[in-house]
Amino acid sequence: MIRKIFHFILQQNIIILFLSLFIVFGIFKGDLFLNGINLHNIARQISFDIPLALALTTVLIVGGIDLSIGSVLSMSAALTMGIQPTGTYFAVLIALLFGILIGFLNGILITKGKVVPFITTLGTMTLVKGIMLTYTKQLSIAGKDESFTFWGDGSIGVVPTPIIVVLIVALILYIVLKYTKFGRNLYAIGGNPESAYIAGIDVEKNKVFAFMISGFLAALSGVLLASRLNSSTTQLGLDSTNWAIAAAIMGGASMAGGRGKVFGTVIGVASLGILINGMNLIGVFTYYQIGIRALILIIVVAVDAVTATRIRENLQLQAYGKRD
Amino acid sequence: MLQTVGKFIINYPSIIILVFLISLGAFISPVFFTSRNFVNILWSVSVLGIIAVGQTVLLITGNFDMSVAYIVGLSGITTVMLQINGANLITSVAGGLAAGVIIGFLNGLIIIRTNANAFLVTLGTSALVYSINLILTQSKTWYAQIDAFLILGRGKFYGTIHYSVIIFLTMAIFVQIILRRTIFGRSLYIIGHNPKAAKYSGIQVNRLKFGVYLFCGFCAGLAGLVMTARTGSTVANAGVGLEFDSLIVSVLGGTSLFGGKGGTIRTIIGILILGVISNLLILLNIQYEAQQIAKGVVFLTVVCADGILEKKRRSS
Repeated sequence: MIRKIFHFILQQNIIILFLSLFIVFGIFKGDLFLNGINLHNIARQISFDIPLALALTTVLIVGGIDLSIGSVLSMSAALTMGIQPTGTYFAVLIALLFGILIGFLNGILITKGKVVPFITTLGTMTLVKGIMLTYTKQLSIAGKDESFTFWGDGSIGVVPTPIIVVLIVALILYIVLKYTKFGRNLYAIGGNPESAYIAGIDVEKNKVFAFMISGFLAALSGVLLASRLNSSTTQLGLDSTNWAIAAAIMGGASMAGGRGKVFGTVIGVASLGILINGMNLIGVFTYYQIGIRALILIIVVAVDAVTATRIRENLQLQAYGKRD
Repeated sequence: MLQTVGKFIINYPSIIILVFLISLGAFISPVFFTSRNFVNILWSVSVLGIIAVGQTVLLITGNFDMSVAYIVGLSGITTVMLQINGANLITSVAGGLAAGVIIGFLNGLIIIRTNANAFLVTLGTSALVYSINLILTQSKTWYAQIDAFLILGRGKFYGTIHYSVIIFLTMAIFVQIILRRTIFGRSLYIIGHNPKAAKYSGIQVNRLKFGVYLFCGFCAGLAGLVMTARTGSTVANAGVGLEFDSLIVSVLGGTSLFGGKGGTIRTIIGILILGVISNLLILLNIQYEAQQIAKGVVFLTVVCADGILEKKRRSS
């Protein structure tokens, strides 16, 4: 029984991190941290990071990675604001379609061009950034439609609207990944592309779809941010990619592919959000915060790699019949 | 004879592209085909070239370093800070180079110890170095104090060609000889081709990988010194974008992203292609933003070609 509980706790390490961060800041900065306004702010803040981290979770599951999400975010924010005079929701539609299009491009280049996902998405990252800078002429674009700010800046009761939107999206993604054939195929492809292919799964098509989902989610984050700020700047999404990678891996996804949980990723983003909020409350200077974020990314990636190696070795041991 | 020419074209498509671009440039712009313009092109790419030498060697072993951009900033900042605090020329230059090597050490250590994805680890150290740069400079511009130091970036050899260009070309040729003619260099190709086979044939894979990361850090540090000496000042994000450019030029030259293939002489050609393209875009008055798009398109085309060719090679 105790052993079972112990194992359960080990598996849920992200939840433990979340709770311990919550308790630590609650004890040391209780008055500032644990009040309604601050929690409301955290919830709003993380709601723009959740879609990005979910985008990465989806591509990590199929054994890929998407570095272009930061650029897609800023471009779709620019489109949302830029096309708004023609029609607010028409602009949102175009922005989301743009994200899906870039995801499609990534997927095609990776599956047909035979390029590793890192390199492809590094290329599209630069490409989309160039398109964004050309489109905006390196200027900020202000929104014309005040009512549109409801989606990013408004609240339903005490709950911020964007967190409701992203949690609904997360729920849909959860159902798709867990209970549909498509979702299960993604896990199979990430776990072992060759055996997935032999089992009759269309590996290339499913991969392209995964990247399209990633593009869509990145664009969604851009639309929500544009709504929150009622403007778009060229600086949006600059360092969010690193952040999203850290959150997704903390939440249970792996660079080795085949693993990843929607719920874990959401908790991962929330933990990082609390950490940032806590650092701000304590008064950690921005320059040091950049360093701390970088350290978190390095540690998360390193731990993930060590774990993946250990799992692989265990599998090999089992295959040779030498279980320890 | 024709066959040899055909073979040459297939093996070195980058030379054809370069010749085409130069003739195009001579056709479009009257200023392009002047010796002064060529000296300028070489001078403008020399910083990138020094970085690309390190990056190419890493690519040959199948590794990446995305932190080179901010190492450029860090080494410049270290040198300038040392000079401001009264260090002499030799000490400050050594300090700058040491800063680059230390980051290379960090990258190599994490990657060989944990076997983690080189790309992500160096992305992380890149942000880490950026934060160090910001803390050191406080987002201000700092100026070099010793005039003799500036010769490294601005000085010309008998008034004809810049010292930085000579450093870059010498390094590229020297490294190429090491790659091709020594056991150490040849081992790097084997590691890139098949790390497992390299390990089983008695090559110290991790030790060599570590050494190459140190070398790449050193190159980036040296490039940072050249850049600082050229402008006479330094800022926290001095080298931003160079990590991407160094990948582009290596692949343009014919170094494969899959490892095991390439060389630094090829990278010189890749550098020249990029230099001529940016020079032409400037001469044609095309905006910076459009240049970004052009770079992205060129990069994607080249890596796709590389990927498809590699696939064919492996299957045949």
